[in-house]
Parts: sequence; structure tokens; C-alpha cells
Amino acid sequence: MISPPAPEHFTSRLRSPTVAARVGVWLGVAFTLCFVTGLISHYAQLPSHPIPWPTSPSWGYRLTQGLHVSSGLAAIPLLLVKLWAVYPRLFERLPLRAPGRLALAGLERGSIGVLVAASVFQLATGVLNAAQWYPWREFSFRTTHYALAWVSIGALALHIAVKLPVIRDVLARPIDDTTHDRPTAVTPGPLTRRGLVRVTFVAAGVLTVLTAGSTVPALRRISLFGVRSGRGPAGIPINKSARAAVVTASATSADYRLSLVVDGTPVRELTLAELRALPQVTHTLPIACVEGWSASGEWHGVTVRDLLALAGVPAGTDVIVTSLQEHGAFRRTSLPGNVAADPRTLLALGLNGEPLALDHGYPARLIAPNRPGVLQTKWVSSLEVTT
Amino acid sequence: MRVVIAIIGTGFAAYGGWLALSRQDVGQLVEVGLWLAAGGLAHDGVVAGLVLVVALLGRRLLPSAAQAPATIALIVWGSTSLAVLPVLGRFGARSDNPTLLDRPYLTSWLALTAATVVVVVLVSAWRARRCDDSAPTTGED
Repeated sequence: MISPPAPEHFTSRLRSPTVAARVGVWLGVAFTLCFVTGLISHYAQLPSHPIPWPTSPSWGYRLTQGLHVSSGLAAIPLLLVKLWAVYPRLFERLPLRAPGRLALAGLERGSIGVLVAASVFQLATGVLNAAQWYPWREFSFRTTHYALAWVSIGALALHIAVKLPVIRDVLARPIDDTTHDRPTAVTPGPLTRRGLVRVTFVAAGVLTVLTAGSTVPALRRISLFGVRSGRGPAGIPINKSARAAVVTASATSADYRLSLVVDGTPVRELTLAELRALPQVTHTLPIACVEGWSASGEWHGVTVRDLLALAGVPAGTDVIVTSLQEHGAFRRTSLPGNVAADPRTLLALGLNGEPLALDHGYPARLIAPNRPGVLQTKWVSSLEVTT
Repeated sequence: MRVVIAIIGTGFAAYGGWLALSRQDVGQLVEVGLWLAAGGLAHDGVVAGLVLVVALLGRRLLPSAAQAPATIALIVWGSTSLAVLPVLGRFGARSDNPTLLDRPYLTSWLALTAATVVVVVLVSAWRARRCDDSAPTTGED
């Protein structure tokens, strides 16, 4: 008769707390970095900010969101090896006859179950979102990924608190120490413990290099699995096409006008020719998508500040930017006063020396420094302020 | 110190749980629950089980000189393959956006796999030869 799996059936000496703790430290670092950069991204996307979201450095969001996706990807090999090292513990028998110990063990196992399930969920949905593949029907990625980020980081902190004495002890001892090993974990593996830990770090590095080219131009050629090669109209990729946004007809219509609306009343309507006749400036700014890819371009157009001045609105006023898009969560976005006042915040009419491509937001799009890509509204039809 | 970390952790997790529960309807919550359970099972059952089987087969079938290179390859190639699974089939590709998922992912993955096999074979052969060369000296021990 085959007995159910038990911890003593796993004999590799590589499945040791000394390995789990060393990989776990870096997994903790990756998760923390991922969590903090995720919070930054959510804060940046708020319609208004209790503490103003800065416009400098212009590449700030590009960096934090690139780190978010890269640290999440790097966490995958770390999590796999960490879970491999502690896998036998999944089969530990519960102390059924001692109610007090059973309750404690049940709580600990439950919290680890939550940690593992939430961690796998976060990494899986994050990777799927970067690849823009949504094989679920009901839940919202944004809401769920945000909520479970708190669950996974909280469960991780609880796990660290429970294990802290063991973690401290095994980290203070040499990696080959066997004090905390299971009695049957004695069979030498194909690698040394140090070798296993190093290979895990190498795997995290390899995966990062093979994917990070979507945001790090220097890695584009070797990032075989980056979700973007960096190519696109005028050398910049796009996220939402004019066709998907159903704006092709309205954006190319001769009737296009940019409305400047103050307190609900249109005070100016500008044709594309009139926009082009206004003073033009050029700024190098990144477009940094929430899904982790980014690219820097030379945008030219009219500053939002100048447009607001045309409407007689003082600099520093909050602006609502509306797209020609008739549907979609981001057809209206809020441009906080400090961003609208920045001299680099443009209603762009061109990119990299070319007129704006339809898929980049022709005839006019918003581009502001240090702003999440989803808020860089394309096919802008009006700028509205309330004084 | 431990108590403080535990309280903060429990608070964060509870806040996340409340966010998940309060911002979604029942249908969404059921689906999230299914995904959470499936994720845990996918690791503890499928991935961990596959690794166990591969390790067992590797130990039985591979010559000793190939064991370490094959293990290293399994960790690097295996975790990379798992992580890039969503791009391999270009499942999120859209006909209206040629800038998305615009690389030959499957070809790259096949090349990576072939290169991994070649490196493992070459390193194993080199290790086997090195062991043979040094066999007389170690044999005297």
C-alpha cells in the first residue's frame, strides 16, 4: 500500500531552512519593491492627490513601473525555489490530539496557504496583464491585483514574524549547517546548497534580462520575451489603437476642434491649423505604460499652460482632459494643477519629427512628465477647468 | 519586534481582504476565489509534482556528470519558460495593434531550449572527460 506523502519521504539536503531563508530574503526584497512601486503606481493614477504628485524627474514613473514589473518577474524563480525548499512541510501531520497546538498549527498553515495562493495569484495575473492576456471573465485586474497585494505582503510579514527566530538563526550559521534540517534531509543533491542559491539568483537575473527590454532600451536586442520590441509609429509602441478606441472618423474629420471649456462654457474652439499656428515647443518625455513597457520620444506641440492662458485661466488650475473616445475608463482624465502648470506638459501634435500618428492620438494628445501612460489622454477633444 | 511585525502583517492582509470583498460583486469574488485556489493547486500539485518526477527521472537516467548541469538548466530554463508562457502563444495579440507582442516568441523559446540542451550536453561531456582523466589519481584514495 502506498502511504500518503510525509516530510520524511523527502531526503534531499538541499530542501533546508538555510536555503529557504537565503532565497527568502531576496524574495522578500523583490516582493517589497513590487508592493511599494505598485502603491506608487496606484497613487499616481488617483484623480487628485492629497500630496501633489511631482512632475520631476520626468522618468520617475517609468523607473518605478519598470521596477514593479521587473521585480515581479524576478520573484518568479525566487518563489519557485523557495517553495521547493520548504515543500516537504506541506505534508506535515497536524497535531490532531492537542487542541491548543492544533489551533496554532492550523493558523500558521492557513496563513501560509493565503501567502502562497496570493503570491502565485499576484505574479500570474501581473505577468498576464503585461502580456495583455485576460483569461478571466468577471473580476477587474486593477481592483484585485491591488487588494491582493495587501493580502500577500501582509501574509508575508506575518510569516516572517512567525519564522523570525529560525530565520535569524539559520542566516547566522553557515549554509551547510544542519541544526534546523529535517532528520531525513541527508541525501546530497546534484548541487551544493550555495550552488542552488546562486543558480536561483542567476535565473532571476536571466529572466529579468530576457524581459526588461520593453522598458530598458539597451536590453531591447536581447530581451527575447519582452512584450514590446520598441517599434511602432515614429519609433514608439502604442497601447490602444484608434480602431479599438473607435475614434478614426472623429479624429480625422475636418470638423475637429479642440474646445477650451471654462465653468461649463466653451470659451475657445481651435482647429488643428490654429493649434499648429500657436508657439510650438519640443520636449523629450517618456511614455510609460502601467503594464511596464516604456519608451522615450521627442514630442512637439503647444504647452497646456499656453492653452489655459488663451482661455484666461491662471496657471495651476486643475484640468479635465476629454478624449474623442466615447467609451473607456480613461476617456476623461484629471490633470492636477501642478502638472498642467509644468512647462513640459504638452498638447502634442507631433512625435520624433513626424506629425502625430493616428494611433498615437492624432490630431492632439496629452503628454506630461512623470505621468502613467493611461492618463496621457489621446485624441484630445477638450480641456475643461472649473474656476 | 515579532509581535509588531505580526500585527502590521495581519492588519495589511485584513485591509486587502476588506478591499477585495467591498469592491467586487459576488460573481467576481467567486472567480477570484477560484483563481486563488487554482494558483495554489497549480504550484503544489502540478509544478511541484512535475519537478519531483523530472528530478526522479534525471537521477535514474542521467549520467552523474550531467546531473549538476541538468539541474542548473532546469532551474533557469524551467522558471523562465513558466514566466514567459503568456507571451509564447501571443494570446493577448490584437490585429489592430502590431506593436504589441511583436517578437517571434515561440522561435526564441525553441532556440533557448535548444541552446540549453546543447550547453548541458557539452558541459556534461566535458565533466565526464575530466572525471575520466582524473580517475587514476582519485582511484588510489
